[in-house]
Order: sequence, then structure tokens, then C-alpha cells
Amino acid sequence: MPATPQLSPQEEQEKLLEEAIGVVKNQAFQMKRCLDKGKLMDGLKHASTMLGELRTSLLSPKSYYELYMAISDELRHLEMYLVEEFQKGRKVADLYELVQYAGNIVPRLYLLITVGVVYIKSNELSRRDILKDLVEMCRGVQHPLRGLFLRNYLLQCTKNVLPDNNDDATGGENESGNVQDSVDFIQLNFAEMNKLWVRMQHQGHSRDRERREQERRELRILVGTNLVRLSQLECIDMERFKKNVLPGVLEQVVNCKDPISQEYLMECVIQVFPDDNHLQCLSAFLRACADLHPNVNVKNIIIALIDRLASFAQSEEGNGIPSDIQLFDIFSQQIAQVIQNRPDMPPEDIVALQVALMNLALKCYPDKVEYVDKVLETTEDIFNRLNLDHLEHGAAVSKELMKLMKIPIDTYNSILTVLELQHFGAMFEYFDYKGRKLMSCFIINNILENETCIPTQEQVDLILNIVNCLVQDQNDQPEEIDDPEDFAEEQGLMGRFIHLLYSEDPNQQFLILNMARKHFGSGGDQRIKFTLPPIVFAACRLANRYVDLKEEDENWEKKCQKIFQFVHQTIGALIKAELAEIPLRLFLQGAVTAGGIEFENHETVAYEFMSQAFSIYEEEISDSKAQLAAITLIIATLEQMSCFGEENHEPLRTQCALAASKLLKKPDQCRGVSICSHLFWSGKNSKGEEMRDGKRVSDCLKKGLKIANQCMDSSVQVQLFVELLNHYIYFFEKGCDQISIQVLNQIITKIQEHLPNLEANEETDQINKHFKNTVEHLQMKKEIGDTEVSFAGLTI
Amino acid sequence: MKRDLAETHIYRKMSFFGFGQSAEVDIILDGQDSRKTAEIKTEDGKKERYYLYFDGETVSGKVNVSLKKAGSKLEHQGIKIEFIGQIELYYDRGNHHEFTSLVKELARPGELSQNTSYNFEFQQVEKPYESYTGANVRLRYFLRVTIVKRLSDVVKEQDIVVHTLSHYPEMNNSIKMEVGIEDCLHIEFEYNKSKYHLKDVIVGKIYFLLVRIKIKHMEIQIIKRETTGSGPNTFNENETIAKYEIMDGAPVRGESIPIRLFLSGYELTPTMRDINKKFSVRYYLNLVLVDEEERRYFKQQEITIFRRSDKNRKTYQATAHHNATRDRKPEENSVEEEK
Repeated sequence: MPATPQLSPQEEQEKLLEEAIGVVKNQAFQMKRCLDKGKLMDGLKHASTMLGELRTSLLSPKSYYELYMAISDELRHLEMYLVEEFQKGRKVADLYELVQYAGNIVPRLYLLITVGVVYIKSNELSRRDILKDLVEMCRGVQHPLRGLFLRNYLLQCTKNVLPDNNDDATGGENESGNVQDSVDFIQLNFAEMNKLWVRMQHQGHSRDRERREQERRELRILVGTNLVRLSQLECIDMERFKKNVLPGVLEQVVNCKDPISQEYLMECVIQVFPDDNHLQCLSAFLRACADLHPNVNVKNIIIALIDRLASFAQSEEGNGIPSDIQLFDIFSQQIAQVIQNRPDMPPEDIVALQVALMNLALKCYPDKVEYVDKVLETTEDIFNRLNLDHLEHGAAVSKELMKLMKIPIDTYNSILTVLELQHFGAMFEYFDYKGRKLMSCFIINNILENETCIPTQEQVDLILNIVNCLVQDQNDQPEEIDDPEDFAEEQGLMGRFIHLLYSEDPNQQFLILNMARKHFGSGGDQRIKFTLPPIVFAACRLANRYVDLKEEDENWEKKCQKIFQFVHQTIGALIKAELAEIPLRLFLQGAVTAGGIEFENHETVAYEFMSQAFSIYEEEISDSKAQLAAITLIIATLEQMSCFGEENHEPLRTQCALAASKLLKKPDQCRGVSICSHLFWSGKNSKGEEMRDGKRVSDCLKKGLKIANQCMDSSVQVQLFVELLNHYIYFFEKGCDQISIQVLNQIITKIQEHLPNLEANEETDQINKHFKNTVEHLQMKKEIGDTEVSFAGLTI
Repeated sequence: MKRDLAETHIYRKMSFFGFGQSAEVDIILDGQDSRKTAEIKTEDGKKERYYLYFDGETVSGKVNVSLKKAGSKLEHQGIKIEFIGQIELYYDRGNHHEFTSLVKELARPGELSQNTSYNFEFQQVEKPYESYTGANVRLRYFLRVTIVKRLSDVVKEQDIVVHTLSHYPEMNNSIKMEVGIEDCLHIEFEYNKSKYHLKDVIVGKIYFLLVRIKIKHMEIQIIKRETTGSGPNTFNENETIAKYEIMDGAPVRGESIPIRLFLSGYELTPTMRDINKKFSVRYYLNLVLVDEEERRYFKQQEITIFRRSDKNRKTYQATAHHNATRDRKPEENSVEEEK
């Protein structure tokens, strides 16, 4: 025979509950039948039997709740019947006494409550006494679960009959009671329920603690309902709330010394009562917070309150925080008290409290920067007291501190306002390297997103000190170097940031750039290539601004000179870092800028910059490709400029031609030389006149042809011919008399000879295409024939 | 609402031999229409209703003798009526202790030839004790009419019920006591009075001063103790009249539990002390605590129960209700959990 399977605890519960519900249904049915027949006494007997099911100790809180719900549904029938009977005028004399003969206390009290409420509904005069009696008699049930549900039933039944008026009750004349009676009633019930609820914690075996706490949490709403009921009394004015309602509740919460209860009930208090009440009773509430059990997460409670008040301050219907309530000061003091009372409070929780406080300050007093600063100062003091330093990145306290620091940044969206906070920068010291870097990037990104201009050198100094870890090497920097991509991204941010260092006042702007230069200059070789070029460009822009101020600022020329000295030095720093291409380009840029501004000495300055570019070219650039690129750039720059007199232009262009012809590889030489030809055509003197030296142009191109002929690689050779052809055509079209149709024909013929011999590959295709396009251009020109020069005789 | 009177007991000592005239006797009490009745248990537990008299009241009425056979005479040696108060101890059936016995002669010896009525009156009769039916003893009052005959008397008895009324006692202190088991349980209980009338309500409170046992529940019992006999032949009979749960679950130190027990729902008699040196009926309140291992802890206190006249009942009830609700102020609201 198979053994009877053992029931699981859950099945056991289901079975027990099912049985109990069965009895309830049966008894309820009989109760209703008796009532229908007018047999009240018999009906009450069945009700009592039904209620006897609530005496059980076998059910879990959840099952007990279901049983309770089923029974309280049935009791409503009884109540409705009794109310009707009373309304019909049928007096059931002494019913209130009669139900008290029930021998067992649980059924007796449920019946007493039911009948008591019926009495109240039919005769309000009895209300006060009956309410007092009911809440008092319920003391007889000391079993936590049964007591909680019994008192919950009391609370449910009396929901609509609690006196809610302000009639004076002094002398006990007012039999129907006033709101104070309701307050007393609920407070007593609340206290008793809380005691029962807390007591659950201390019953049973300690190994069941987790389950017990879970069960307690399931039941908490029963206790909280008392507070909801209190909050629903309309006649509680502020005075009464302050004097008679809140203190009682808080006293109960504090004295019960139970973390679960305290945590939940404080939260309840915050949620159920209106914002105005919280505002008026802040100190009392917060003082209570300071007295809570050490295991209570008081942080969450205070934060919940702050969040609530902060959103109240911002809501439409709220008229803001009344001016007579020093919301911030009160919170600030009380939080300090809470922290002091709890030496074991984890630092992250302390910081979290400061976060809440800061949110409060920013939401309720958006104009008061000093409040935010006060929070930071307090935090700093606490950190000093706790000897906290170098918060490890990722640690809870570091995260919280980051949250704290980000709030003003995000809220103000202006670093300038953040800089008004005296204690902001100092807090950076408490992060470790990684934390500082993240925070610095956060700040810089915020500046970039908001395009906040930093208008004074002092502010620049402040910011760069704060984000110091992005500016220069740090003592606590880890040994392994950062990921190059990340590094480049960070420094790129700094580069963008430099463009926001801007003052309307050019003199201030110069100071700003000097300050920036000072900070970034010490950034090391890796950083300056990202950060100094933007400074150079910013300086160039500044110089241009002075041009517009000629009339107003008589010293503008000197200032420009100074700026270029500054630019020169700055580029010099880059050279020292053994960078070549960047300073070369910057020199050229400087030269162009200086050349374009007609201040005293500008020619000399521009010449100096050009010559510096040359010396970098000569000394620092060795790669042939880079050389070609550099010389092309130099030539192009020189071609553009129109500040040089002949005595300066001559050596420069000669130098260019020389350098071009000295390039190592033949194709490079060829290209360099042919580009150089343009210098002799469109290169300008200080009056802006072009040279138009056809002879020298022709010489250059001929030299190019000669070099091209020397090339061994036929593919490259053809390519060079095509390129040269293009140069020739350019000058021919410009009307250079040294270039004849015959020369064009010659080169075309030469190309046509060589092209078919080239290996068919991608490169050849490109050359073909280039040549074809060139020829098409010529054909077009020839056909139109309306140009200044004649294409007659061109053979294609 | 009135109920019919229970059928009168008629004891008829029938003659085995005589076939002579016989008569039926009825006792009609004066003012029956307006007189109250009261219930009393018979020995076998049934309840019967009789007319109710109080101490010092005159018992008067009429005795009707109706002849059974018309035309035949009834010869007798005299007709008398007695008023008897007696105590019957069940273990001593033969001996009834009459504490009151009054006789009135209704007729001298002679003959009855027709139905006849006799008036009788016992003026301002002393009725010192309350009618009572208990486990081992009965105290009853009755009227007995005897038609004395040569062979067998015609006897008719009529019970009445007597209630003794007490004034509200001048001294009625509360009962207050601290009891306990050392280091285990200390409670203090208080009943508002020591003397209660039959429709009274016991109001009280229990304070828990120390609780180290796991209490499951607590109840109050009303115990009736009937004592009969004396010396070595004393019999005690305890009966639990009421069992009333006043607390469910285990309280902690500092809790106070209210008590309110309405007495009118229980079958109580006034306390009787040493009635005619034959018996006593006393009442005790028994406070019983039961712990989770079903151990019981209890404390008995005697209370006095008395009967009040109905006149005052209305005003009294109002008072009782107020006592029940007003006297108890909410306790100090401290939550102390035992760690």
C-alpha cells in the first residue's frame, strides 16, 4: 500500500483554510436564515460559532487574512440587518450586554464591535462612550495575529462613525464626541496594534527570524491603516496636529524600538499627512528620526521626506515654502544630529543624506548658492572627522559623493555658478585618481554641452585646478598608462573646452590665454599636442579681434606683437616636446595671421614664423612623404601671403624652390618643383601684386619634366607627365607667354605614347582617367574658343 | 409576559380500603393576578414557577374544598392550614428541619356536605431565608392544608418562592491583590467590588507586572460552593457556574487586561452563610491562567452576591454602564518589549 503522502506546509495551510472557510460558509448561511426569520438570538449564536474559527493558531498570516476577509464579509450582513431593525424602531434591548455573554473572547469582541457600531449608527449620543469601550476591551486579545486583525476590524467598522467635529467637549457634556475623541481612539488602537506587531518579532524560534520578518511585513498595512485613518479626520487643524496627533504617533514609533516598525511607520507618517503639516512639524519629526533604532535606515526616511517637500515646493498648488520656516536650516541641523547619534552610520549613508539636503536646497531655494555650499562644507567636515581620503572608485561612498557633486553641476548647468561654491573644488581631493577624472570629464562635458564661456582668468584658474587631473600628471596616477583612445578623447575634450575660454574684453582674453597656457604648459608631451594648438588658434583669433579695435585701442599694435610672442613661445613648447608637424603648421598659421594684420613689424613677425617653419622642416622632418607634405604646405602658405617685400620674399621663395628640388625621391622632386612654379606666378609682394614671372614658371616646369623623364617607373612617370600637363595647361590658360601650344602637344604625345604600354591595373586606370579628363577639358576649351588664349594648333 | 403556573403538586394519601367520600383541595392566594412569580429548580433539575413572597409579607388566601361525590358527606377530624419553611438535606431524607411552622385551624371536626371555602391569613410572616434548590440541600416554603380523617388525611401543599432582599451594602470595597510565582509571574488584579447583586456586572482589571511564562489564555470562573452538614459530616459541592475567557494570547510586562462580566446571564443565588446552621452557599471568582503547556495557575477570591429589589434596577443599570465605560482611562502608552 502506498504511504499517504506527507502534506507540504503550503498544502497543509490550504487544507486548513478550506476547512475553516467551509465552517464559515455553513454558519453564515444559517445565521442569515435565522435573521431572515427574525430569530436574532439564534442568528447571533451562529455568528459566534462562525467567529470561533478566528480563534485558530494554525493559520499563517496570509491564510488568516483570507479567513478574516470571508468572515468580515459575513458580519456585514449581520450589521446591515441590525441597522435595519434599529431603523424600523425595533429596540433590541441590551444587545450590547447580551453579546458579552459569549464565553470566548475573540468571537465576543467581534460581535461587540459589530453591535457597538450599530448602536452608534442608530444613536449618535452613545458614540463617544462606545468607541472608548470598544478600543479598551480589545486589550483582551494579546495574541499578535488575532489581536491585529481584531483591531483592524474595529478600525474598519468605525471608519465612518468617528466623530469629526470641533464641538467643545470640555466637561464631558458632548456625548457624541468630537475629533479629539477620534484622535484618542485611533492613537490608542494604533499603539496597541503596534505593540502586537512588534511582539511578533520576539516570538518563536530565532531560526525562523527571516520568515517572521517577512510575515510582519505582510501585516504592516494593518498597523499603517491607523495613520491613514488619522489623516482622514478633517477637523484636525494644524494646532491639534502639532500638539495632539503627531507627538503621540512619534512617541509610539520611537519607544517601540523596533527597526521594522520604525522604518515603516515613519514612511507612513511622511506619506499620509499633508505637506503643510510636515512643514510645520519638521523639527519634531526629524528629532524622532535621530532617536530611531540604529538598524533603521534613517537615511531613506529623511530622504523620502525631503523628496516630498522638495516636490511640494516645486508643485503648482504649493505656494512654495513659507518664509517663516527655515526648511534648510532645520534639516541641516537635524541631519547633523542624526549623524552624531549614529556613530556607526556608513559614510555612504551620510553622504546620501547630504545629497538629499542638497536636492532640498536646490529645489526649494534655487537662488541660495550658500546653502549648497553649506552642504559641501558639512560634507567636507565629516570627511575630515572620519579621516576619509582617496575614496576608491566604485565604492559606495565614492558613488554617493559623485552623486552629490554632480547635482550642482547638473542643476545650475553653468560652471560659473558652481565656481561660486567655495567648497566645491576642495571635495575633489577626496576622490581617487579615477574618480577625479570621471568628475573632471563630467564637468568639462557639462561646459561643452552648455557652451558656457569662461570669461575671467581667475575662473579659468579655478576650473583648471579642479579638473587638474586632466591637465597634468597626478601623484596618485596608476603606473599603467591610460588607454590611448580614452586619453585622446579626454584631451580632445580639453581642446574643445579651450575654445570656450572667452571674454568679450580682449585684454582679459589675453590674460585668460596666459593662464590656460600656464596650466596646460605643464601637461607633459602627451597632453600638450592636444591642448596647446587650440591656445595658439585662440591667440590668433584674439590678434584678429584687435584689428577691429584699431580706433579704440592705441596700443593695439604692441598687444598684437605680444600675442605673437605668446604664440611663438607656445609653439616653441611643442617643438621641445619633439613634435614637428604640429609646430610647423602652427608657425605657418601664425605667419598667415600675422601677415594679415597690419601692425608694426608684422612683416618681420611673419618672416620669423616662416623661417621657423623652415627650420623645423629642415631639422625635424626626415620622412620623405612628410617632407613633401610640409614643403607643399610651406609653398602654399607663402603663395597666399601678401606681406612680404621683395627682400624677404625672395629668400623665402628661393628657399622653397631649393628645398623642393632637394627632395630625395625623383617623383617628390618633380612634384615639389612643379608646385613651386606657382610661387613665381601668383606669389604676392607687400602691395598684393602677383609676380607673373613666366620665365621662372617655365623653368620650374621644365625642370619638372626633366626630372619626370628620369623616373624609372613608367607608371609613375606617366602620372607625373599628366600632372605636369595640368600645371602647363593652368599657366597656359592664365596667359603665361612662356608656355606654348607646342609644349602641350609634346607632352600630350608623350603621354599617349607611354600610356598603352602600362600594365593594366587600378593605378593605370586612374592615370587614364586623369588624362582623359584633362584632354576633355582641353577639347572643350578648344571648341568654345572664347578664351583669352587661343587653343589653335592643339592636337588631341 | 407571564407564564402559566406549573401544575400544583397534590399529594394525596389515598386510602386503600375506604371507598368513602373524598375531596379536592385548592389553595387560592390573594392577589394572584398581580403577584409576581419566580422560577426555582426542582430537585430533578426542572424549573417551576411559584408566587413570590418577601420577608414579612402577609400570606393570605382562600382554601376551596370541593367534594368529589355529590350527595355524600365528608366526615373529618378538623381542617387546618400550615405555613412551613423547611430545609431538606438530601442525604437525610427522613429529617426535614422546619425553621418556620405556623398553623391556622380552618374548621373544627365535623362533616362537610357541600363544597366549602375558608379564608386564611398568616400575618406578616417572617421568611428569613431565600428559597433554594441545590445539589445536596433544598430550602422551601409551602402552605399545607390537611383535612384530618380517621384513616387517611386529605393533604394539599402549595409551594411559594421567597426572595430575600438586601440593601446596597454600605461598605463595598474593591478586591485588589498582587499574586505571583517568584521570578515567573506577577500579576495584580482588581475587581471593582466585593459584593455584587444578581444583575450586577463585575468590572476589573489585571495588570501584568512580570511575565516569564508563555500564557495561552486567561479566564474568569464563577464557582459556587455549597456546604452542608457540620463537623466531620461536612459536604462541599463545587459547581462552576461561569467560564469566561478574558484574555487570548500572551501579554508582556506592563499590559493591563480589562474584565467585564455581566452576572445576569448566569444562574446565581444570593450568597447564603450558615443558613439555620444547616448549609451555606458561597461564591468565588477564580482567575485562571493557562500556559502553553496547559499548566494552570489560579487564584480564588470570595465575593458576596445579594439580591436587590427590582425598584432600583433601572437607575442601577445606567450606573453600571457608566462604570463599565467611564472609569477606565487609557493606560500610559508605553511599549516595552522584553528582549
